[in-house]
Amino acid sequence: MSIPLKWMTAAIAAAVSCQAQNVANVVTQGEAVFSKTCATGYCHGVRGGSSGAPRLAARGFGQAYIDKIVRNGVPDTGMASFTTRLSPPDLVAVIAYVATLNGIASPDVSMDGVPNAVSTRPTLTGEAARGARLFSEAVRGFGRCSTCHEVGGFGIPVAAPIAKVPASVAELMVLTTPDVKTASMDGESMPALVLSQRKQSVVFYDLTSAPPVQRNAEPASVKFTDGSNWRHSAVIAYAPSELAAILDYLRAVTKP
Amino acid sequence: MLALVHNCTGLGDTSGAGWTHSARRWSMISNMRFFTVLPTTILFTVVTALAQDAGATRADWPHYGGSPYSWRYSALDQINTSNVKSLTPAWIFQTGDYAENLQATPIVVDGVMYLITAQAHVFALDAATGREIWNYRYPAVPRSIPGFIGNRGVAVGDGKVFFGTKDNYMVALEQRTGRLVWKVNIDDARQCGCNVTAAPMVVKDKVIVGGTGGDGAHRGYITAFNTRTGRLAWRWYVVPGPGEKGNETWKGDSWRFGGGSPWLTGSYDPALNLLYWGTGNAAADFYDTERVVAGADKSKDVNLYTASVVALDPDTGKLRWHYQEVPDDVWDYDSSYEVLLMDREIRGRMRQALVHMNKSGLTAVLDRTTGEYLGSFSVPEVRTWIAGVTEDGKLVGRNEPAMGKTVSICPSAAGAKSWNSTAYSPRTGFLYVPVNEMCNDITPNNHPADEGKNYMNGDFPFKLPAGRTTFSHVDAWDPVTGKRAWSMPYKYVLLASVLTTAGDLVFTGNPEGDFFALDAKSGNKLWSYQTGAGHRGSAVSYSVNGRQYVATPTGWHSTVVGALAQSLFPDQDWRLGSTLVVFALPGGSR
Repeated sequence: MSIPLKWMTAAIAAAVSCQAQNVANVVTQGEAVFSKTCATGYCHGVRGGSSGAPRLAARGFGQAYIDKIVRNGVPDTGMASFTTRLSPPDLVAVIAYVATLNGIASPDVSMDGVPNAVSTRPTLTGEAARGARLFSEAVRGFGRCSTCHEVGGFGIPVAAPIAKVPASVAELMVLTTPDVKTASMDGESMPALVLSQRKQSVVFYDLTSAPPVQRNAEPASVKFTDGSNWRHSAVIAYAPSELAAILDYLRAVTKP
Repeated sequence: MLALVHNCTGLGDTSGAGWTHSARRWSMISNMRFFTVLPTTILFTVVTALAQDAGATRADWPHYGGSPYSWRYSALDQINTSNVKSLTPAWIFQTGDYAENLQATPIVVDGVMYLITAQAHVFALDAATGREIWNYRYPAVPRSIPGFIGNRGVAVGDGKVFFGTKDNYMVALEQRTGRLVWKVNIDDARQCGCNVTAAPMVVKDKVIVGGTGGDGAHRGYITAFNTRTGRLAWRWYVVPGPGEKGNETWKGDSWRFGGGSPWLTGSYDPALNLLYWGTGNAAADFYDTERVVAGADKSKDVNLYTASVVALDPDTGKLRWHYQEVPDDVWDYDSSYEVLLMDREIRGRMRQALVHMNKSGLTAVLDRTTGEYLGSFSVPEVRTWIAGVTEDGKLVGRNEPAMGKTVSICPSAAGAKSWNSTAYSPRTGFLYVPVNEMCNDITPNNHPADEGKNYMNGDFPFKLPAGRTTFSHVDAWDPVTGKRAWSMPYKYVLLASVLTTAGDLVFTGNPEGDFFALDAKSGNKLWSYQTGAGHRGSAVSYSVNGRQYVATPTGWHSTVVGALAQSLFPDQDWRLGSTLVVFALPGGSR
C-alpha cells in the first residue's frame, strides 16, 4: 500500500519544479506584455526603469499594491486601468512581472478573482470578422458605422444600442426611425435626433452630415416637427457586400 | 556641400549650436548687410515697418500664439526694462483642478480672460481683477479612455469659446455665458488612441484643430469645423492615402498607421489666406523598416507629410505646399511646433518668411508663399543626430538607431525645445528660445502595429550629456543670420513658453517656480518672482483700462516630459499646482 519514498519525493519535486516553471513562463509572458504595453512611449521604460512615468523597479512594491494599481489605474494621472485593456492572463502576467522587478521571486500567478472583461467578446470568423473590421475601419473617416454606433466597446453612441439587426441589406438601406425629427433653427431645418427637452435647454443631434453634432439650444430657439427626410443610406458609404458582412457581424455579437 | 556647422556661430562652442545652412556665404552677407553696414536703429526700423502690426498683440491676447502670426509678442510697453523691477502680483486665480498642471495660454478679449485647465474646466475671468464671470466643467472622462491629461488652451471667435477634450470632442461654449452650444466627436479615442491637447484655432468661419496619437498606430490629421453649426468643414490627413500624391513615399500599407499627428496649433496669414501647421513624427518612431522602402533616398522626401511644415487653404483644407524637415524621422523629432510668420530682408530681398523649429532644434527659415528653403540654424549645444546640413537644407551624417544596437542621440526625443513656444520681437529681430540639453539612448524594436496602441518601437531612456553643469538656456537667435546673440544658462530644464514685449522684456519661468524677466537685447536678468510652483505654461500680456498685465500659469508638469526631466534631477522636488498669477506695476508707479 505504501508508495516508495523515493517516488513520492520525485513526485513532489516534479510538482514544485512544474510550478516554478509555470511561474517563470508567466513572468516571461509578463515581461513581453510589459515591453509592449508599459515600457512604451514616455511611460515606465525598459524593465521599469522609467521613461517619464514613475520608475517601477526596486520600489519595494507588494504584489497586492501592484495588482490594485494595474487594475484600477491612478486617478488624475496618465495611468489608466488595464482591466479591460489586457486579457486576464496578460493582466496576471504583467502584475507578476512587475512584482519580480520589486524583488518578489515567486509572485502569485493564479487566476483567482481575475475579471473576465475581454474574454467575453466572441471570436469571429469569416464574413462576421470582416464585418467587424469594416464597422469601424479608420480609413473610411466619418463614413463608417462606428461614427454613430457603439458596438463591442468601440464607436460613438449617438444612436441607441442596436436592438434589432436588419434582416437584409435592402432593409438596412431604407431604415428610418421615428426618433429622427426635423428641427428648425437659425432659419434652417435639419434632421434631428432629440436627446432631451427640458425647460432650460433642448439637446439634440444634428444629423445633416457626418459626424453628427450635438446641439444644445434654448427651447424658444428651436422647433421640432415629426418625421424627417433622413435615411440611413445618407450617412453610410459601403458596398452591398460589405454591408452584408457588417450585418453578419452584428448578428454574431447580438446573439443571446 | 556640407555646411561648416560647428564653426559658424562665432560663439566658440564646437558642439553644434549655430548656423547650419548656406553656411558662410549667407551668414557673411547677412552680417554685412545687417550688422556691419546698417546701424542697429535702422535695422530695427526696417524690420518693424512691415509686419509688426500683423504679428503683435495689444490690449487683447486673442490667439494661442498672441496673433495668428504666433510671435507671442505684445506691443505694450508700459512695463519695460526701466520699471520691471517694480512688477508685483495684481491678482491670482486658483483653478482647483490639480489633476496635472496649468499649461494653457490664457486668451484675453475685451477685458475678459478665458482659461482652461488640464481636465477642461473653463473659466471666464475679469482680466483686471480675477473675478469669476462664469465657469464650465467638462464632464469627467472615464479612465478607460486612453491618453494623457492636459489642455493647452481655448480659442475664442464667433461669440464662442472652443476647446478640445481628452475623449476627443470639439466643444463650443457661448462666450458670454459659458453655456454649451455644440459638441462633436473628432474620432473614437478608444480606437485611434488619439485626442486633443492643443488649443484650436479660429480662422474665419471655421475652428481648426490638430490631434495627438502620432506615437501610436494612427494616421494623423487636421480637422476643421464650422464655428456656427459644428458641422465638419474638412479634414486633411497628414499621411496621404492611395492615389494621393505622397502616398508613394510609404512602404506597402504602412501609411495606414503612419503617425504624423499635428498635435499643436498652427498660424494663419490673412493676406495670403494660408494656414500653416507643423506635423508630427512618422510612426513607428524609432524603427523604419516597415514604412520606408529599402534604399530610399533620404535626401528627398520620405514618409510625407510627417515631420514637415505645411501650408493649407483654410477654406478647403487643400495642401498648397510642404517642406519636410526630417525625412524618415527615426528620432521622434516631431515638427509639430509653432510656426512664426515674419517679413524679413534676407540676402538683400524682403521675404515673406516663416520660422519653424522642430524637436531637434533645427529651425527652418522658409518663404511662406512657396515653401522655398531660405536657411536654417540649430539651437542645441550638444548634437549627435546629424553632422550638418547642406546649402539646400539636406541633412548630412545621419546617426540612425538600428536594430540590435543602442545609439546615444542628442537632443533627446523630449526635444531641444519641448512644445512650449518661442517668442519673436520685431524690435530686436530676435527669436527667443528655451533650449534643453538632454540626450537619450535609443534601442529600436519591431513590435507590429496595433491600431491606436503605442507604436514608438524603441526604448529611449533619457540622460544628461556629460561634462556640463547647466542643462538648459534661454537664447536670443537672429533667424536671418542664424546667429545666437545671447544665451542665459540655467541649471535644470526650461519647459515654459516665452513671452516678449515692446518694453524690450523677455518673460519665462522655470521648474523651481521662478518667473523672471530678461532684457530682450542683452539677456540680463532684470526681475524674478517666486510663484510657488514650477512653470510649464505660457505667459501672456494684455491691458485693461490702460493698465498692462503679465499673466503666467503656474504648476509643474507631472506626466511625460515634466516627470522625465525631474527624474534626471532626483534631488529636486518641483511643485505641481494650477494657479494663474497676474502681475502689474503698482498703481502709482505707471
